[in-house]
Amino acid sequence: FYHMDLYGSKERFDIFPEELSGRGDRSLGDMRSESALSSEKVQRPQEVCYDLEEEVAELAKMYGLDEDREKELELLGGHLEKVESRWPPARTEKAGSQGSLYNTSKSSSSVKHPSQSTKQQGLPDEAFLGENQSKARTDDEAESNIWSRGGLSSGGMSDEWNSQAVSEEEEEEEEETADVFCSTCKIPIRAFDKLFGEHKDHEVAQLPNAVESEKEEIHKNMCKLEEQIAQMENVASHLEEIFITVEENFGRQEQNFEVHYDDAVQVLAQKYEEQLEALGEEKRQKLEALYEQLVSCGKHLDTCKELTDETQELFLENDKAEFMKVKSFNYIIFFPYNYRLEEFLKKEVDLELSTLPDFEERVIDVSEVEQLMNSINAIPAPCAPVINPQAPNAATGTSLRVCWGLFSDDTVEYYQLCYKPVSNEMHSGEHAEQTLKVKETYCTITDLLPNTQYEFWVSALNASGISPPSERAVYVTAPSPPTIKNKKIRSCENAALVCWESRDMNPVDSYTVELSKLTEEENDDIITESIVGIPNCEVLIHLQPTQKYQVCVRAQNLGGSSERSEPVLIHTTGTCFYLNEDTAHPLLAILDDGFTISCDELENPECDLPVYDNSFTRCIAILGSLIPFPGKHYWEVEVEEDTEYRTGVAFENTPRHGYLGANNSSWCMRHIITPSRHKYEFLHSGMTPDIRITVPPRRIGILLDYENCRLSFFNADTAQHLHTFNSHFQHYVHPCFALETPGILRIHTGITTPPWTAL
Amino acid sequence: MALKQVSSNKCFEGFQKVFEHDSSELKCKMKFGIYLPPKAETGKCPVLYWLSGLTCTEQNFITKAGFQQAAAEHGLIVVAPDTSPRGCNIEGEDESWDFGTGAGFYVDATEDPWKTNYRMYSYIKDELPKLINANFPTDPERMSIFGHSMGGHGALILALKNPGKYKSVSAFAPICNPIQCQWGKKALGGYLGPDASKWEAYDATQLVKSYSGSRLDILIDQGKDDQFLSAGQLLPDNFIAACTEQKIPVVFRLQQASCFCSPCWGYDHSYFFIASFINDHIKHHAKYLNA
Repeated sequence: FYHMDLYGSKERFDIFPEELSGRGDRSLGDMRSESALSSEKVQRPQEVCYDLEEEVAELAKMYGLDEDREKELELLGGHLEKVESRWPPARTEKAGSQGSLYNTSKSSSSVKHPSQSTKQQGLPDEAFLGENQSKARTDDEAESNIWSRGGLSSGGMSDEWNSQAVSEEEEEEEEETADVFCSTCKIPIRAFDKLFGEHKDHEVAQLPNAVESEKEEIHKNMCKLEEQIAQMENVASHLEEIFITVEENFGRQEQNFEVHYDDAVQVLAQKYEEQLEALGEEKRQKLEALYEQLVSCGKHLDTCKELTDETQELFLENDKAEFMKVKSFNYIIFFPYNYRLEEFLKKEVDLELSTLPDFEERVIDVSEVEQLMNSINAIPAPCAPVINPQAPNAATGTSLRVCWGLFSDDTVEYYQLCYKPVSNEMHSGEHAEQTLKVKETYCTITDLLPNTQYEFWVSALNASGISPPSERAVYVTAPSPPTIKNKKIRSCENAALVCWESRDMNPVDSYTVELSKLTEEENDDIITESIVGIPNCEVLIHLQPTQKYQVCVRAQNLGGSSERSEPVLIHTTGTCFYLNEDTAHPLLAILDDGFTISCDELENPECDLPVYDNSFTRCIAILGSLIPFPGKHYWEVEVEEDTEYRTGVAFENTPRHGYLGANNSSWCMRHIITPSRHKYEFLHSGMTPDIRITVPPRRIGILLDYENCRLSFFNADTAQHLHTFNSHFQHYVHPCFALETPGILRIHTGITTPPWTAL
Repeated sequence: MALKQVSSNKCFEGFQKVFEHDSSELKCKMKFGIYLPPKAETGKCPVLYWLSGLTCTEQNFITKAGFQQAAAEHGLIVVAPDTSPRGCNIEGEDESWDFGTGAGFYVDATEDPWKTNYRMYSYIKDELPKLINANFPTDPERMSIFGHSMGGHGALILALKNPGKYKSVSAFAPICNPIQCQWGKKALGGYLGPDASKWEAYDATQLVKSYSGSRLDILIDQGKDDQFLSAGQLLPDNFIAACTEQKIPVVFRLQQASCFCSPCWGYDHSYFFIASFINDHIKHHAKYLNA
């Protein structure tokens, strides 16, 4: 029983999600319906239990439940009250773990139940009833957890042995199964009801279709809701941003106002002070003037009084003569008096007020304040812009793109960009400073010199004024394209050594080599490989054999890369080298093709032949420049039968005053003609093996194989192997050629290594 | 044509074996050594025939020359036959070391009593290759030949008399001009009779003079201190002169130790000399056989 239960519970657990996904498996449906049934049975045990008694007994027998049967039967047959009181302890002990297992599955199933009961096709109508009951049960669960657990676990158990009964029941009641969905009432009904019941006139749909459409609807709604949530979240975050921006902006404006109003108030206060002062001064001056007038009035009054007294005195003289006398006497003697009087009388008394009591009209100048007030809302002069450092790879050889920005949110009408080339020389003033008016915060300046540094600085302008200049930034133009030294290209089947020269005076940062493999097709320009960051004017490129490559070089500096150089073609058919003219003996001439050497006379006139430091002085020889690559190299030398020569390889520093093959830094085949025969020597350190060759080679194939440490000579016409030096070359060697009698040697390069050289 | 395996030894991943068979050409039991390189287990390989010198059996070369490594490397089957019929009970066949047993000289004898059995030329040219091709994974189109001393002579004449049959030929200290040397005079006189004009058909130097077959690339190594060179038995200069004349490409290497010690000893006529340069020869043949 225990095992069966556990198994059952597990199974249910496993299949549960599948059920949810709407698999209309019949047996699963049964299982589900059980849960409804079980709960139903818990609540109306009498009804069902009596019906089921027989089946239960059978099942119990099947499951070997004899022990429990009586109890279970009793329980099922008994009263609900009893069940309620007895089950929890009894079951929890026994069911223990699986009880909880059940609990989880059950509780979730009970929650899901309503939807399932509608979803599942062919659900017995008990299930439909169970829908309500399971709702009730969820209430129960809420009320009493212990009960629900116990009840559920027991319910789950009873399910197991009720399931069969139910399925049988179902068969009987199959025609009563709800199979259509009443769209009007939104409930599943039996087709029978559609025909005769209350749903007679209602619109119906097949239950699965209805379920599907409902689900679709729900899904759509879910999607909509999700969309709305996302939208709202966006809006919310946007609002937050705006909130912050508003705070910032208003804060800034507040500050601005504060500053400006402070200024205005200050100016006004100053004006007030000035006005007060001026007013005071005026007052003082007026008072002073009035006072002066008052004083002079007083004086006048005194004089008047004095004269009046005197006159009165005179008037009081009784004697007329005396009077007259006095008068005349007075007039004479007291001339001053008369005079004074006369004068006094003559003098008009200035009764006019020297000053007006009211103050002068004053024009109060508020223009400054006005301006200040106006400027509160007007834009301030911008701050100095910030010039960006040079962005890499944005320059060309003749143009630069300069960018800058504003530190603040200043309003700018335009920018003034100045530049001049940077010069190390002291008299840098010679370089004219250029100024440009720019609307944008970037500018492309053209007609510049390649690979040259320019200094830039920028100011911002608006109606209110010009900002201080920015810091100075140094930009550099891209270099000129280099020139590949076409004649100095060395290559072999697996590599090429390309060198070039810069066309710029100033050094560049690095070079980039671009190579494209040329195929038969048209797409020749596809860059198959780029080698960047080459510091020197030389690079060894690894290539694939028997291909054609086009190689270009670009020079690179901080500003960017130059245009491509003229391309060169490299064929990796075989080893190509060139003859190093610096090493040529003065008597040795290189013909125009660059690969034919000749010697017309052996006697060295020893006169004015130019001798370079690096040239052979004794042996009429020349060195080739072979690619320093440790692979296989093959070339051929075409000789005349009667020409005496030496050819082979030598270290670059092989003694120039010695003969090739006479030292340990050169290996060569020598041909000499003795009276009896052609003699061939294979010389290294002056030693040769004794080798007789019956057919004088006309074309000597030379294979230098660093990998296998050998240098082999062949008769290239007959593929005959002549001799092999086995030597581990400590350094890279170069081809060497010498003439010992007048004649010519033709050197052939770029030849595919013949297969017969392999052994 | 039944083959009887006499011995088999694993060697450089391949096998060095010795077989015995009844030769129809020589009317006797003949042994030959054969080296089967590892490559022979999966595919057909070219065959390189080695002809030994006076007194040798099939054993000398396979035990002394140390060729197996190079042969394994280049995937060559190397067949080393005996140097003469044996046990034919011909009177005088064992009398001297330079005539009779061990000195077949790779000619078809015309004189009694040798003419029945001493048909080494035909044996090497026809019977043996047929036997080998029938019993081993060979490529019949690709075969070459080389040898030492009398075998060198055999290799040269077989190549010169059968233009195109052998892809390449080489020799160690070959008897180049047997009609001019003691060994040759004795053997050729014995097998072919006193008419020296008949000997010329088995003389490499003479054959070169009339050679007009496909191009040959002949490699000859000669020890500088070979007692038979100084004794005038080998006469390579005559052969070289003839080849120079005929513009037949030969590289002739007079081998001495390339050292600074004095006196400077050269190589002699022994298998030590052969072992020193066997790799060069295997390479020489591999170049043409594996081309």
